[in-house]
Amino acid sequence: MHVVTASDQPSHPLLAGDSRSRLERWLAAEAGASRVTVSEDGRLGGGAISLNLAVTLEVEGGPFAGSHACVLRAEGGGRISASIGKLREFAVLRVAFEAGVMAPEPLIACDDPAILGRDFYIMRRAEGLGAGHAVTRTEAAQPELARALGRQLGLLHRVGPETPGLERLAEAPDCPAQATLSQFRQWFGELARRDPVIAWGLRWMEINAPAPGAVVLCHRDYRTGNYLVKDGALTAILDWEFAGFSDPMEDLGWFCARSWRFRRPDREAGGIADREDFYAGYEETSGRRIDPVRVAYWETAAYLRWAAVAVEQGNRHSSGAEPSLELALTGRMLPEIEMDLLRHLRAIGRTASGAVEKVA
Amino acid sequence: MRNTSDACGLLEIAAATFRTDVLAHVAPEARYAALMVANALAIVERELKGGDAAGRSMLAALAPFYGEDADDGLSGEDLRQRVEALQHRLCIEIAAGDFDHDGRDLLADSLEAMVQAQLGISNPKALG
Repeated sequence: MHVVTASDQPSHPLLAGDSRSRLERWLAAEAGASRVTVSEDGRLGGGAISLNLAVTLEVEGGPFAGSHACVLRAEGGGRISASIGKLREFAVLRVAFEAGVMAPEPLIACDDPAILGRDFYIMRRAEGLGAGHAVTRTEAAQPELARALGRQLGLLHRVGPETPGLERLAEAPDCPAQATLSQFRQWFGELARRDPVIAWGLRWMEINAPAPGAVVLCHRDYRTGNYLVKDGALTAILDWEFAGFSDPMEDLGWFCARSWRFRRPDREAGGIADREDFYAGYEETSGRRIDPVRVAYWETAAYLRWAAVAVEQGNRHSSGAEPSLELALTGRMLPEIEMDLLRHLRAIGRTASGAVEKVA
Repeated sequence: MRNTSDACGLLEIAAATFRTDVLAHVAPEARYAALMVANALAIVERELKGGDAAGRSMLAALAPFYGEDADDGLSGEDLRQRVEALQHRLCIEIAAGDFDHDGRDLLADSLEAMVQAQLGISNPKALG
């Protein structure tokens, strides 16, 4: 969800016909207002899975009277296996916001199909640039941005499974590595018996699985491309639809994976700075030390996870369920992701310390 | 009856014309879609032209393990099926733990060579 696209086009189908007035009446009732008017400011990018509409709510009367720049985020055409649905996402966003994480303020969620025909929620709109290629375009590295992102992730990782409001998330796993591995086996299915790179990645994860440690609320898509930057400063962490409980090092491995460095693969923290800057910010707020061996483990998992998502996106197209050139091309990214995985495994093979306690 | 070389030639000129005569005139809101179309045409073009060469490279990468079956005289569908069969064998051996301790470097070299062959078709820029 990135840049607002000015649009002269008619209403998005989600708000066409009577939908807009149903939404306005529902919002007015929920907000204790005499009237709410919803105007569309365009569709926001970054919605391969979710639909993001920029809207302005004009609220007359009641405690929320005034004009509010918001985003209406709804289920997209097809959910993929890793996504948690809009109502759980809303609950996560609320918990993260209350924990002090720079997430857009969540305002209201709706699970009544009579309103828009699908689950949705509304949050405040944050300003800034999000597209990965744009964020990583700067000549100089952005250590302060990396440090700020580390701090935000550290704040999020102070949220544990017992936190009220997260009851509807999947139960926290006893052993995140084994839970992830079994999820990956399920996602890849038969491909793990046809593609030796996937087979090796899964086997590597199995024999190198770290023993269980802390389990916290993870964003699970914390990366360049999913936050907004304005004048070089972080303004919001977006796209919470894959959140869940896991090993905190999972988010760090994902953030540093080569797949999300865009224009600057040499800058290992999301294409913006060195890992050290990101790690330092994390340690400031999380109350825990970075474990580089665990991060390397979860970076392996990151490539496999991205590979599984890419394969599933490609299948959404090729199965005929959702014909789309973008999905088809995402499926074709598998060799790129596999090459990143193999480079990573070779690199950590050269520096393997075996310092982490293993399950096996 | 289809004429494959004609199809290749038609695709090649269609993709080149799209890149040189159409892409520059596409409105900004359609540019992303147009770039995706150009990318897809280029992938198919490379696949039609270089599919067998990529298959032979993959077979060569599998030869250190299954030399006797990595027959470099195959082409087309036979080649594809042989590569798939040997990849399946390798998957089973990997999952059984055959590379847990020994042969990892050989395996890494083989896997990289296979992925490079596929990247030559899907995204040669990523080979660098």
